[in-house]
Amino acid sequence: MRKAGGSFLALGLFTLAALLLSVGLGSVSLSPGSILTALLGGGDEGTRALVLGLRLPRVTLAFLTGAALSAGGTVMQSALENPLASPFGLGVSAGAGLGASAVMVLGVSGALGAVALPAAGFAGGLGTVLLALALARAFDARLSGVTVVLTGMVLSLFFSAILDLMAAMNPDYAQRIGLWQMGSFAAKGWQGVWVLLPVLLLCLGVFLSRARELDLLSFGDEQAQTMGLDPRRARRFFIALVAVLTGAAVAFSGIIGFVDLVAPHVARRLFGASHRRTLPAAALLGGSFMVLCDLASRTLAAPREIPVGAVTALLGAPFFMLIFFKRKGAAGC
Amino acid sequence: MLKAEKLSCGYGGEPVVREISLTLSPGERLVILGPNGSGKTTLLRALTGVLPSSGLLELEGRDLRSLSPRERGRKLAMLSQMNTAGFAFTVWETVLMGRYPHMGRGVFSTPSPEDRRIAEDCLKGLNLWPERNRPITELSGGQLQRVLLARTFAQTPGIIFLDEPTNHLDLKYQIELVEQLKSWTAGPGRAAVGVFHDLDLALSFADTVLLLDRGRAVYQGSAAGLDSALLSRVFEVDVPAYMRASRERWERTGG
Repeated sequence: MRKAGGSFLALGLFTLAALLLSVGLGSVSLSPGSILTALLGGGDEGTRALVLGLRLPRVTLAFLTGAALSAGGTVMQSALENPLASPFGLGVSAGAGLGASAVMVLGVSGALGAVALPAAGFAGGLGTVLLALALARAFDARLSGVTVVLTGMVLSLFFSAILDLMAAMNPDYAQRIGLWQMGSFAAKGWQGVWVLLPVLLLCLGVFLSRARELDLLSFGDEQAQTMGLDPRRARRFFIALVAVLTGAAVAFSGIIGFVDLVAPHVARRLFGASHRRTLPAAALLGGSFMVLCDLASRTLAAPREIPVGAVTALLGAPFFMLIFFKRKGAAGC
Repeated sequence: MLKAEKLSCGYGGEPVVREISLTLSPGERLVILGPNGSGKTTLLRALTGVLPSSGLLELEGRDLRSLSPRERGRKLAMLSQMNTAGFAFTVWETVLMGRYPHMGRGVFSTPSPEDRRIAEDCLKGLNLWPERNRPITELSGGQLQRVLLARTFAQTPGIIFLDEPTNHLDLKYQIELVEQLKSWTAGPGRAAVGVFHDLDLALSFADTVLLLDRGRAVYQGSAAGLDSALLSRVFEVDVPAYMRASRERWERTGG
């Protein structure tokens, strides 16, 4: 095999097609022409309201969320030198779920509730990762990738148990808590987009500017260290930033798994391991994948919506298996 | 180049390596010998400044442990054993990573033409240029180790540390690697410190030896002056008898 030569032009066109398709399809189908007219402020008022008020914010939020989770997953896998690592595995999902559920159960509502839910989700996600980092550091001064992954896993399971307990003790909220954990982009408006977009751009910019450090970290601590990097410091920095990014992503849409794990692998296969290429590729791929999953979630069983987290997992789980068994096969020969 | 005095280190608790003093001169190939658990790798890692240690440790007159990671990366490099690569970087990307400590720290800084030229020279020097676009995940253990050697050379260090770099390699690659390292060390202002699993290979590389027994140096000097009785005592095996038996086996097989 020669160098992975995925083309960004092709990926860009694929992304654009996914976005157009998703804005166009639904209870009312729209042609690319009428979407463009509505975007430019023309056409009839109904179409404009549908495109600008309903579909576009939903599709954009789905894209940004998928991009953020995928970029976060890529960084996490390299920073922990573990191809099966992910932000969710480190407790972002469990922590965010716990924070959001607390807000639901405590019954913060109205205008405050609209802010409190994502804020609590964000704080829960970020807090859990920082706690995992602090604990890992206390156990292992070198802060090795394995210690971080194990600590995150244990913390994740512990918080999931509290979450289950919370749902069981408050049966009235159990369904809402369950649904939030499966994720949805329905009726979120533009609010999430305006928060997530700058966070994503900023984090991606920082990741790209320090892409070489991620390259070095993928070779393990000892090699990174002898090539002039402080792996412990770099790892701490990257994980904390991933926690901010993925915390912001799940805050608005709830927990949507597997994209963070799957997109980086596809991106590496198509665009190679160098983070200057993998990171933007994973973000575009993950964003498009999320947009298409969301499209499936609202059209396949219309007028009912399938939780988008279920769609990504249905597609993601077999893929995960495929990677896992392929690795096993490779190791055997 | 490198100077240690009463260097002790460990992993918390009792020190594993005690009060080692040594100096490394340009052109020198020092091999640290000793049985399993004698502290070879620990001493090696302490000498690179990666593992905390007590006592004096100077590189060109400066405390090695006070250097920043990047400064250290410009002066010292390490080649260890790596059998499989986790991520599919290309050969070129991997070797160019050796230039990291030399690159600017600015946002979006790119490798300079000088960085690219050095990486190219290192690849060509080890006959890897035709392989430059291949992912390292597809290489055999021997080829991968050669790529990592090219990356180590691309770092343009003064001292290369070797942590059992020939483990799991075919004999051909073992010999090749040792020869390439020997000819590198012959360049101006260069030296190497190594730990080898194979005693025979270690002695074929070494011009000076530091023999460790339970964390203490029991011999320091030229490889030629190493007393085989001492070696046998430390390794708890009759080394000359083993080598003789090995040679006899060969003579029988070779016919």
